[in-house]
Amino acid sequence: MRLGDHCGILLSEIAQTDPRVWVLDADLADSDGAVHFARAHPDRFIMAGASEQCMVSMAAGLSSCGARPWVFSFASFLCYRAYDQIRVCISQAKQPVTLVGSHSGGCGGRNGKTHLALNDIALMASLPGIDVWAPASPGDVVFAIRAVLNNSHPAYIRLPRLPLDALPGNPSECRWLKPKSMINLVSAGLGTHLAIGALARLEALNGLRPGLLHCLRVWPLPAEVLDLLAEGRKIVVIEDHYTFGGLASLIENSISTNVLPIGWPQSWPGKAGAEEAILTSQGLALEQIANSILQFSGVLKESTPK
Amino acid sequence: MAVVSDVIPRIQSGGLQSLEAEARALRLEIVSAFFACGGGHYGGALSVLDIVLALYRTTLRVAPMCPDHPDRDRFILSKGHSAMALYAVLRRLGYFDEPLSRYGRIDSALEGHPDMTVLPGIDFSTGSLGQGLSVGLGMAMALKGTDRHVWVILGDGECQEGQVWESAMLAARLNTNRLHAVIDCNGYQEWGWTQQPGAPPPVPLLREKWEAFGWNTMYVDGHDYGALSTTFRTALAARQPTVILAKTIKGRGFPLIEQDPVRFHCTTVDEGEQAILLGLPK
Repeated sequence: MRLGDHCGILLSEIAQTDPRVWVLDADLADSDGAVHFARAHPDRFIMAGASEQCMVSMAAGLSSCGARPWVFSFASFLCYRAYDQIRVCISQAKQPVTLVGSHSGGCGGRNGKTHLALNDIALMASLPGIDVWAPASPGDVVFAIRAVLNNSHPAYIRLPRLPLDALPGNPSECRWLKPKSMINLVSAGLGTHLAIGALARLEALNGLRPGLLHCLRVWPLPAEVLDLLAEGRKIVVIEDHYTFGGLASLIENSISTNVLPIGWPQSWPGKAGAEEAILTSQGLALEQIANSILQFSGVLKESTPK
Repeated sequence: MAVVSDVIPRIQSGGLQSLEAEARALRLEIVSAFFACGGGHYGGALSVLDIVLALYRTTLRVAPMCPDHPDRDRFILSKGHSAMALYAVLRRLGYFDEPLSRYGRIDSALEGHPDMTVLPGIDFSTGSLGQGLSVGLGMAMALKGTDRHVWVILGDGECQEGQVWESAMLAARLNTNRLHAVIDCNGYQEWGWTQQPGAPPPVPLLREKWEAFGWNTMYVDGHDYGALSTTFRTALAARQPTVILAKTIKGRGFPLIEQDPVRFHCTTVDEGEQAILLGLPK
């Protein structure tokens, strides 16, 4: 079974006791896993037809009335066709809608490039307040669903088309599948299965045994990843996503380097107003920028090797 | 969703004459606020004002002192650029005290477009056109089995957005008779095709299009409080989703604005023009 099927089945079980759970689907229920919920709870299933934009905004309307809607489609159609609806109705409006994007990543079978979602993590992680999950096993799906329902964040769960087997250990937001080493692989989703296979090859080739950290939650970055960065260990990232904008980029973006990023903070400033007032409120007034540069220059001086 | 009891009464108005007087006062508040804050969307705010006021005063069951009451009707101003009209009505009803003149300031909850995360009484954020009807459809689905209703106001220019028709098609299929749309048909959009003499309205054959999508349709004069309240009552009793095409005048109430609807889609006025708008002696 695909992970989408596991997702649809578990949501059906949860909905037996949680009346808040609804599922919406854009005419891919038999491919993305929503079919299980449609059969079990037809009264709380909405077949939106091939109308992803309407479906996403509808889900936000449902959640504003107390529901916990789960929106299913292929990742490509969900993230790309309905991006403005996700931006306005979910991220800006802070609605606890969960987007379930099946067939994410680069292995789309015979579907080809129109059906691939290779920068969906970049799109979702750059919208303020949306948690991004990348399960790699049925157990991961269970953990992610329960975690999402236990908070009220908007969330995006990306699932591959390929069925994925169980992983060792107990699912959590992030866990070591191979013990930490000086060189460590960090991976998510299908990438974790690629990493496991690659580690076996490595060991056979020259006995190298890097650590392997599997990130079920890709964004916000789990603490374990930040710890690795703080410890200065080498990291190899393997992911089913473009190398730009995915897990690797999110990690690189968290590294303190000799680049000082000055721009808008990852939130919705959400304010109308005069330009100067808006810039000042976000630390972007000229004097604030100058002060930031001065501070940064001081840090550089202190850390420059003698 | 649980079935809720009908606990919220309609807000009492003092009759049609009172509503017309209230609208006149709100129009002056709106142009005064725009002048104080440096301009805004005069045309659409003034064309939609009577519809918004009539809805709140004659039809919606809401509780201004408890804006998030779960048993309330829902209202969405999908044409969010007309926010000032909604703010004027909500303030008059007691949802908040913030002066309208603070519209669009960085330290104000009166955002350029309605923001549910900062202002009481906003049932959903809008500003990116075409999304409100879908949100309203979701609300209507969540509230099915209750006696609550969902009202969405769209612009006629907004009906060029494809998402509006996705929602129209799906609402008819789901047969949500709790969902009601009102279209502020002022005949203009920001720029559109007005440079072409005799150009058709933003969406030609609008009624025929909604009917083809399976909606119950009605026409109304969008500035006639008696006709508006009667039409709203009729919509409440309909067995399918209803759209009310409200014929309005962009910039209603001020000849200076009515005569130049393209400029007054969003603009500023000088002191002399402001004096004319307020009817002050020269």
